Amino acid sequence: MKGDEVTSEETTPRRNPFSAIGHGIDVMRDWWEHAKVWQRYLVYIGAVVFALILPAPAIGSFMSPGADWTSVLVYPIGTYILLAVGLNVVVGQAGLLDLGFVAFFAIGGYNVAYFGTQYHWNYWATVVMGIAMAAVSGVILGAPTLRLRGDYLAIVTLGFGEIVRITANNADVIGGARGITNVPHPPPIFGTKFLLDPAPYYYLMIVAIALVIIFSVRLQKSRVGRAWAAIREDEDAAELMGVPTFKFKLLAFAIGAMIGGLAGGVYAGKAVFIEPNTFPFILSATILAAVVLGGSGNLPGVILGAFLIGWLPERFRDFAEYRILIFGGVLVLMMALRPEGLLPSRRRKAELREGTGGMGAMGAEVAGPTTEASAEVNQ
Amino acid sequence: MLLEVKDINVHYGKIAALKGISLEVNEGEIVSLIGANGAGKTTTLKTISGLRPLTSGKILFNGEDISKTPGHKRVIMGIGQAPEGRGVFPGMTVQENLLMGAYTRKDDLTKDLDEVYGLFPRLAERRSQFGGTMSGGEQQMIAIGRALMTKPKVVLLDEPSMGLAPMLIAQIFSIIKEINSRGTTVLLVEQNAQQALKLSDRAYVLETGRVVKSAPGKDLLNDPSVREAYLGGH
Repeated sequence: MKGDEVTSEETTPRRNPFSAIGHGIDVMRDWWEHAKVWQRYLVYIGAVVFALILPAPAIGSFMSPGADWTSVLVYPIGTYILLAVGLNVVVGQAGLLDLGFVAFFAIGGYNVAYFGTQYHWNYWATVVMGIAMAAVSGVILGAPTLRLRGDYLAIVTLGFGEIVRITANNADVIGGARGITNVPHPPPIFGTKFLLDPAPYYYLMIVAIALVIIFSVRLQKSRVGRAWAAIREDEDAAELMGVPTFKFKLLAFAIGAMIGGLAGGVYAGKAVFIEPNTFPFILSATILAAVVLGGSGNLPGVILGAFLIGWLPERFRDFAEYRILIFGGVLVLMMALRPEGLLPSRRRKAELREGTGGMGAMGAEVAGPTTEASAEVNQ
Repeated sequence: MLLEVKDINVHYGKIAALKGISLEVNEGEIVSLIGANGAGKTTTLKTISGLRPLTSGKILFNGEDISKTPGHKRVIMGIGQAPEGRGVFPGMTVQENLLMGAYTRKDDLTKDLDEVYGLFPRLAERRSQFGGTMSGGEQQMIAIGRALMTKPKVVLLDEPSMGLAPMLIAQIFSIIKEINSRGTTVLLVEQNAQQALKLSDRAYVLETGRVVKSAPGKDLLNDPSVREAYLGGH
């Protein structure tokens, strides 16, 4: 239209070492968007095959010279991935900052341990119970607090995580500070026994991760996913479009909690022993770091982020105490040079550029790294 | 009467933002709220659309009390809003933004999409571009178009001219007139009083949370005190 001053927003090339990577990712994403169904399935099958051969000793000798690679793959790597996919529903999709996600992990774990040791329930029944309890506590936490936004919500969820841990510490019925020992292992599947060998647990973890990924992708593409995207990008505008924002935020909390509960159940099945200190606040922060580092809202990114966050400290055990310091430094550097994460979705990049928080969550209207002062012509 | 606001009070914490505002909007009208910054114009709109709870008073829509109805249900009833600062979804394309407006609808949308694209040919050209990468004027078009996609009986427009070039402002106002002539009632909030009053059947002047004057738009244009305060003197 004539007279319309259009700001042409050319993307200025980034002058940092990540720009080449960014370009490569764009090419891949374009290919993926136009890939045929069979091509996509080839990629899926490739990913599954990759996951199945990953524990091979040849790979392990490089990836984890110091510790048993398969064990590392179950915890922390696999568990982190499962938790990160769950937290991604809350943070990445609905844009709600949750700093107490470990609480749901704990609830899942404690359900498996408690009902398994006290009532000798079947392992799978205890996992289902853990998932259900996590969902219920997600709703209990969310119902009064989801009216809060941004950092207020973050503080309340942080408090919730601590409440769960401290309650576990003081409740004698679940072992108090001593925790619960002799948590039963899963019963055998197809003759495979779950004992001390970590391999069966690894494959169980792969199944859990695959199921959760499929669930998460389906959600993202549904009406629910659209509603979450709208809430993340502008909550008021979403309500004005007729999206029942409160209900959908609660749903995001419940679904995220269920995945956290599942992770806790799988973890407890291998761990034999759980105690309150298995679920410290720092784990919530670590999983959040994984989500943000990888590219909040983009599943491949989130999985990559969780893999790195789980793997790097294990790989560099030789550096002893310094590894955490270096790890922190690397994270800071990453976020300075690539604030949208390693593998952001294109949509997330557009959100960040607009400056609507990016995390959606902190509620901060921060300008993105490439935002220039808005070039609108004022009258 | 389509929309009736009866003596509403709205508080932000302990601070009263609206102190007993009453207004009426009849079907087919264009009604403007004008006033300075902080007069309560945006709060009034947000209260009508359900984004702000009210402390006392009543809002009637089609004779039905909607004071306690949540915002997303008011959309289904027929109250659409283009919010202050546009509120475009930056990570959605133009088309996805418009389709968000039809979130609650299950009927065929092609006709409505065509109509919006007809009003805003610019959006049709850029339908697959991200909302966040559009200019201010284009984002305003998205915001209005998206509100129209909710099939509103009354559309609330919050400062549609904010931050736009004069040429574009004229264009937006003519589109508002067009929308109204196609049968949608318009409640408009504007700082650009001159343009708004020319367009409006009636207008309310707000000052610090109160209605201080209400009259047909043309009368207010010639009102000396309004000219003094909002139309730049002489």
